[in-house]
Amino acid sequence: MGSSSTPEPPPLDDATLVALDEVEEGEAILAQQADTGEVAHEATLGGEEAGGGRGWATAAWGAPGFAWLGFFLLAPLIFIVLVSFWTRTDIGFSKTWTLDNYSQLFHDQTYWHNMLTSFETSLIAVFLCLLIGFPVAYFLALKVEKMQYQIGLFVVALAPFWTSFLTRSVAWTYPLMGREGALNQVLTKLGVSSLDDPLFDIGFSTTSVRLAMVQLYVLFMVTPLFFNLSQLDRTALEAARDLGGNWFSTFRAVILPQIMPGVVIGSIFIFVLTMGEYGTVTVIGGNGVSSVGTIVQSKVVAIQYPQGAASAVLLLLALVVGVFVITRFANLRKEL
Amino acid sequence: MATEGAATAVPSSSGVSGLDLVKLTKVFPGGGVAVSDVNLHVDHGEYVVLLGPSGCGKTTTLRMIGGHEFPTSGDILLDGESLVYMQPHKRPTTTVFQHFALFPHRTVLQNVEFGLKMHGVGKEERRKTSLEALEMVGLEQLSDRYPRALSGGQQQRVALARVLVTKPTALLLDEPLGDLDRLLQLRMRVELRNLQRQLGLMFLHVTHNQEEALSMADRIVVMNDARIHQIADPLTIATKPATELVARFMGDNNIIRGKVVEREGTRLVVEDDHGVRVSVQAPGEATSVGEPAMVAVRAAAVEVVENVGGPALNSAECEIVFVEFLGDLVKLHLTVGGERMLAKVPGERYPSFRGREGEKIRISWREDDGQLLHA
Repeated sequence: MGSSSTPEPPPLDDATLVALDEVEEGEAILAQQADTGEVAHEATLGGEEAGGGRGWATAAWGAPGFAWLGFFLLAPLIFIVLVSFWTRTDIGFSKTWTLDNYSQLFHDQTYWHNMLTSFETSLIAVFLCLLIGFPVAYFLALKVEKMQYQIGLFVVALAPFWTSFLTRSVAWTYPLMGREGALNQVLTKLGVSSLDDPLFDIGFSTTSVRLAMVQLYVLFMVTPLFFNLSQLDRTALEAARDLGGNWFSTFRAVILPQIMPGVVIGSIFIFVLTMGEYGTVTVIGGNGVSSVGTIVQSKVVAIQYPQGAASAVLLLLALVVGVFVITRFANLRKEL
Repeated sequence: MATEGAATAVPSSSGVSGLDLVKLTKVFPGGGVAVSDVNLHVDHGEYVVLLGPSGCGKTTTLRMIGGHEFPTSGDILLDGESLVYMQPHKRPTTTVFQHFALFPHRTVLQNVEFGLKMHGVGKEERRKTSLEALEMVGLEQLSDRYPRALSGGQQQRVALARVLVTKPTALLLDEPLGDLDRLLQLRMRVELRNLQRQLGLMFLHVTHNQEEALSMADRIVVMNDARIHQIADPLTIATKPATELVARFMGDNNIIRGKVVEREGTRLVVEDDHGVRVSVQAPGEATSVGEPAMVAVRAAAVEVVENVGGPALNSAECEIVFVEFLGDLVKLHLTVGGERMLAKVPGERYPSFRGREGEKIRISWREDDGQLLHA
C-alpha cells in the first residue's frame, strides 16, 4: 500500500487471521462463558491423536501404496535412466558409461520434429477437451437439478470407457470419418461435397490422430470439472445474478476461480496422456504419423535399448516441465 | 405518497406504498405446494420476520419476492408496480443469501464492489461507495482480505455491505443468522436491527428461530404448510396465538382441548376430558355449546397454588413430572391424567420445588390469559 517508510510486519496467513478475529469475537463469549472444560477436552483429544501408538498403523496402511510405486514406477524409472547412459551393443547394451545416446538424439532432426508435433498435439487436445468438456460438466453439475439424474447422466457420459479403446478408435476413423466413411457419404447425398473430392479425408493424418485423442480423452477433463462444479456454492451464483452480474461476469468472478483446480488436473491428465501417446498414433495414424512415443517404440523394436531409453527420458523431462507449467495456473494444495 | 426508504410510511392496505403479496402461490413441478394463497402487506421501513418450521414456504416466498423463483399465480407489487416479470437484478430488492454466498476468490472489497461494477459504476466511485459501506458494518480495515480469512460474523457483515451498496428499497434476508454461533447471533440481532433503523429500509427476514423473530420484528408472519397462520406484532404472537400451530410452534403454551360447555355472551367455558375447565373471552366467535374448542394458556401466565383442592374453573390439579431449573426460571413439567401441562415460575423459587416429582400440586390462571385457538 501507500508510501509508508516503516517496515511492515510479515503478512499473516489466512488461518492465523481467522484465529485472531475469532479470539476477538470470542472475548465477548468468554466474558460470559466461564466453562472452559470443553476447550480442555478438545485439547486432550488432539493430544491423543498425535500420540505415538498410531505410527505403526499409519505405516502399515501406507506400505502397500509405497511398495507398489517403488516397484512399478520408481525402480523402472531409475533403471531406464541408467540404461540411457550405457553403451549400445548388438544384443542390447553393456554397462559402459557414455553420453553418446543423448548427443545423437540432440542431433536427430526427426526426434525433435516429432517432439514438437507431439507437443502441438497435446496443446490442441488440452484446449479442445476444455472447450468441449466444460459445457458437458457445466450442464451436468449445474443445470441438472436432481442428484440421481446427475449421477445417471454422468455414468452415461462415461459409457465410452466401457468399450475397448481399440474398437472405438478403429470404428471412429475409417467407417465414420474416412474418405468413404459415413460422414462423407452423407455429405455427398446432401450435395455438399462428393466422394471424389471429399470434405473430410482424415485417414492416416495428424488431424485424425488429434481428433481421435480428443474424443478418447475428453472425459479426463469432464470428470474433474464436473466434481469441481458440483461443489460450487450455487447461492453464490444466485447472489452474483441478484447483484446484476450476467453469465460472463458471474463466470469470471465465481465459476472460473473455483474450477481452476479441475482445469489444471484435467489438463495434466490430457497433456501427459497425449504427449506420450503411442497406441492411438499407430492405430489411427498408421505409418503416416509418428510421435515421440513411436520413436521410442521403434528403437526398442530395433533392440536399441540405450537410445530408446534416452528418448524416453527426454520425453519424461518434457512432461515434467509441462506439468510444472500447468500447475502454475492454480495452487492445488491450497484449493483442494 | 411515501418515497423510497421513508422510515415512517403511512400503513396502507391499498397497496400503493410498500410491498404487497397478492394471493401469491407457488406449486413446484411434481405438485408440491410450497406457498398457497399468501397475502401480505409490508410498509417501507418495517422489519418483518417470516417465521415457521423448515419447509413451511417462508424461503420460497422470499425467493419469489427476490426473483429467484417464479410464482405459479398471484402478484408481487412494490409501490403498486408488479415485480413478477422483472429480472432479479432489475428489482429494487436484494437478497442476503443463506450461508452468506460470498465470492471466495474475491477480496472483501471486490465482493462489495461487484454489484456496482455490474451496474457500470466507475472505478473511483465504486471504491469510495464500497469502503463507505464497509465502514458502516465496521470492516473497512479488512477490505483486502479474502472471505475464508474472515470469521462468520465478519462474513455476514460483508454480505450485508455487498447488498447495501446497490441501494435496495427492500432487503430480503434468508436465515441471516443461521450460520453464526449463539452468542454471535445475539450480537448480530442487535446490529442488524440497528442497521435497519439507521437505514430506514424495509427488511424481510426469514427464520425458524422464534426468539430471533420476537426480538427483532416489528411484525411477525407465522407460516406453516404453505399458508400464513398469523400476522401480528411480537407481543400478540407470544401472548395471543391465533391457531394451535402458532401456539405449539411458539412453545411453552398449554393447550386445553375440549368442548364448549357454557356460553354467556362472548364468554365461553371449555372443558376437556380430564375435567379441566377454562373460561375465555371470544368476541366474534360463533362457537356454540357442545362444539369442540381449543384454548391456549401461556406457561408463564400459570401460577402455582400450593393447596390442593379448591375451585375448578381456570385451574387444574396436576402431578409434577419433572422440575427443570433453567437459571432465571423453573419449568415445571406437569400432567393432568396424561395430558401434559407446563408452568414457568421464577428461578429463585427452585428450592421450594426441588425433588418434588410425583407430588400433586394445583395451578391456576386468569381468564384473560386464556386464548381461544382456531384449528
